[in-house]
Amino acid sequence: MRIYEELFIVDPNASDEDIEAVANQVQAVVTDGGGTVDKVDKWGVRRLAYRVKKRDEGFYILVQFSAGPDVVKEIERRLRVHDLVLKYITVRIDEKLQWLDKRKKAREKRALKKPAPVPVGAPGPKMPGEPVEAESSGQEEQA
Amino acid sequence: MAETRGGRPISASQRPTGGDKAVVTRKQYFRRKKVCRFCVEKIDNIDYKDVKLLSAFISERGRITPRRISGVCTPCQRRLCVAVKQARNIALLPFSTPL
Repeated sequence: MRIYEELFIVDPNASDEDIEAVANQVQAVVTDGGGTVDKVDKWGVRRLAYRVKKRDEGFYILVQFSAGPDVVKEIERRLRVHDLVLKYITVRIDEKLQWLDKRKKAREKRALKKPAPVPVGAPGPKMPGEPVEAESSGQEEQA
Repeated sequence: MAETRGGRPISASQRPTGGDKAVVTRKQYFRRKKVCRFCVEKIDNIDYKDVKLLSAFISERGRITPRRISGVCTPCQRRLCVAVKQARNIALLPFSTPL
């Protein structure tokens, strides 16, 4: 299972029901393929940065889901064929989320470490640390 | 330090242009050291959906601002670059804007 994010643009001139139908279709593909829909976010009508299929605006829909790679293939195929969909992008985010989590934890660890030992602990380990570094660098130069 | 410099005759050819220029500019004007905005503000997630953030790092013509101008650190610039390109793909940011 991988976590993906599907952001696609639907024709803003389409009726609300049609837009809803496209969103539901994507979700249906995910659930049929054995995945789960985690989040559906309708951004609404936004101005496009450039013209796409002679449209200056688009209705953005973001769907976050976890599923296998076959599901993505199917979703992309359907969106490509769909007349109302102007553009779509699929981004795999599970690795990024993991990475972000790691960074966040490292940051919290550092934050915990920093304020606590500064008055007592920090000067202690630093003092013996410095001469060791100086010695080692000196050896390297000699070598 | 002196030993290592003397030991590498190849680097000596590269040294004058880069090194001297930096010294001259530093003497003539005071230039504030640029810092990476993502590191300073602790923004880990450079997301392609965050148009407001990304648009600060593209020029008027829609080009990605080089590191030497924006001061973004190398790892952040790499992620920023990917994010901008993804945003362009989905029409959140322009590929280019006409004059």
